[in-house]
Amino acid sequence: MAVKFRILVAKAGCDIHERGALTMIHVFRDAGMEVIYTGRYQSEANIARTAVAEDVDIIGVSDLTGGLPVICRKLLRELKGLEADIPVFCGGLMTEKDKEEMAAMGVAGTFDTGSTPDLCLVHVRNILETKCRSEGKAYGKDDNPGTA
Amino acid sequence: MAENTVKMDRDKDGLVREETQSGIYVKPVFTPEDLADTDYTREIADPGNYPFTRGIYPKMYRDRLWLKAFLVSYDTPESTNAAFKSYMEQGMNDLRLTCDLPTQNGFDPDHPLAMASMFCGGISSYAINTYETMLEGLPLENVVYEGGFMNVLDAIYFHGLLVAMIENRGGDITRLLGTDIADPIRSKLVYGDPSWPTEVERRVLMDHIEYCLEHTPKWKPVVPNGIDPCQAGMNAIHELGEVIAVSTAIIDDFVKRGHTIDEFGPMVVAMDAESDFFESIAKFRAARRMWAKVAKERFHAKKASTMKLKIGIRTSGLSLQARKPLNNAARITIQTLAGVLGGVNSIDACSIDEALGLPSYEARMFTLDMQHILAHEADIPLAADPLGGSYYVEWLTNELEKQADTYLLEVEKRGGIYECLENGWLYQLMEEDRLRVQKEKAEGKRLIIGYNAYTGEEGTLNQAVGKAACTVPDEKVREERIAEVKAFRASRNQEAVKAAIRKLYLDTKNGKNISRAVIDGGKAGLTIGEVCGVVRLGYDLSYDSVNMIPTPDDVAAALKDIM
Repeated sequence: MAVKFRILVAKAGCDIHERGALTMIHVFRDAGMEVIYTGRYQSEANIARTAVAEDVDIIGVSDLTGGLPVICRKLLRELKGLEADIPVFCGGLMTEKDKEEMAAMGVAGTFDTGSTPDLCLVHVRNILETKCRSEGKAYGKDDNPGTA
Repeated sequence: MAENTVKMDRDKDGLVREETQSGIYVKPVFTPEDLADTDYTREIADPGNYPFTRGIYPKMYRDRLWLKAFLVSYDTPESTNAAFKSYMEQGMNDLRLTCDLPTQNGFDPDHPLAMASMFCGGISSYAINTYETMLEGLPLENVVYEGGFMNVLDAIYFHGLLVAMIENRGGDITRLLGTDIADPIRSKLVYGDPSWPTEVERRVLMDHIEYCLEHTPKWKPVVPNGIDPCQAGMNAIHELGEVIAVSTAIIDDFVKRGHTIDEFGPMVVAMDAESDFFESIAKFRAARRMWAKVAKERFHAKKASTMKLKIGIRTSGLSLQARKPLNNAARITIQTLAGVLGGVNSIDACSIDEALGLPSYEARMFTLDMQHILAHEADIPLAADPLGGSYYVEWLTNELEKQADTYLLEVEKRGGIYECLENGWLYQLMEEDRLRVQKEKAEGKRLIIGYNAYTGEEGTLNQAVGKAACTVPDEKVREERIAEVKAFRASRNQEAVKAAIRKLYLDTKNGKNISRAVIDGGKAGLTIGEVCGVVRLGYDLSYDSVNMIPTPDDVAAALKDIM
């Protein structure tokens, strides 16, 4: 049976730049995924709780002020505390150093403002399909039309 | 011809669009015909003459160049102080203050939401101690300060800190010179800022304006902001309409309080120099003409100075690319030039590394030097409004005004800008504009060099730019700031704090102008979180705008018998 991927798009703290997140919400929806958006002014604890409650397959964190390493570190800790095995990727403002730091802490993908939406989408699909395969779940290509 | 000859195609790489960035169709050529119905004296006029299309001063930059500013705010008050001083030596001539996002929202560093975004955007200036360090050795009087903040809380609080500091030094607060770039529409529309509800912002703004007019007359207490609506999605037509509509709504409220527009004086707005060169130039010219007409016809301004619109611009942060950041040098130069040719009064131009991190020193210096080159090498400012009379530019100015007027009629029909904010129409409009651009980018109808066109490998020069950008401090420094604010609160004169909290609460509750209470609160060391929360309590709201923390014990104790 085909599976619709569920993705939580999240913003933590006080970052108000929403344009990237709003763009990706449309991209993921157009690609056939179910997208839940936390809105702004969220705590990492709340994001983790929401991810578990909504039973999402992956979390995308957006931040445009340079806070991604701090946010991801906290979010991963919160998810571990809830024993939730949900991959986290992120998009926004980041330096090369930030990308290295986040890869080392276990963030599943880092997309700076120079990445195209398609690049992010392909990567996210890869993560999800790998996850499905490792869990022995079926996933449907026809649920996720669009590029790539 | 040999088989392996590279084919050269002269027709490759042609234009992919025929419209401006906002979708206005542009003919291949413009002629005097296009201006046949435009009367020079009535619609364009010489610079310094109503309706000020060509600029608000007769000789524009011949008399004085535009103000060159940056938002300067790093992770500590000390490093921000050092940055101010070094930039001033290099030619920056006004001081743009800001602070990190949590502080702008009214969250002290120890609020649960502050950690994730601390130092993002600037210093954590939670109280007067941080300001004293940040401005150590810098003059407070007769130097232009521009407050780049998000909402009315910030405007009144940080203006209050500057007044408090001048009073503490025995100085003359009438010499405080500058602006607060904040308005109640954009704080909600773009930021979704929870600090104070719109009705509270709207009311406190009037208090703040009245206080400033009486006590700090050289301080502009409100500057309607089109920059952030633009960056969040609004096209040039809607950004233009937005600043005119917000300015109109503010003067409407002001006049309802029994004042005249002449008491308010000239309006100052903040706008964006976006990618489209000529559209941005025309936008600034149209803004001046539109506001002059509103000031004269709707509000019956008597003085010519009241009808002059001052424009401060930011170049487009959104246009900056993380890939091949050297290209951003071209972008910021073109956008700055649009501001100069558009006759604006102050320019805060971005740095080439801003898509990667906080600006590095060298990147800032390029931004300043670029402006020195425009002024002194390229001789751009010699003649005022040099594009005046251009068939294309005058036509585009007219067209932008026409389309913005249509939009403004729609806003009026729907009950005014505040109503359009409340019912979501304004947000929807902004989102539609944003989606249109997203679609154009995806379909290759809007080319962004290095992003969806002409992508290429970065070499050492480009990589060096990326490596120079500043990163934001991590958890350790943030924890220090949390400890610091707690220690600061404990170090204050508790009786003075209690008195300040009570006064602010009672003045709010009794419908008084709270400016004095905010200033005195600042002197007593009230943090921005406390000022935000106490005013909220005065309006029978919860202390914390996001309901994550209860009213602090000492605040509750201070108000025990009067709440």
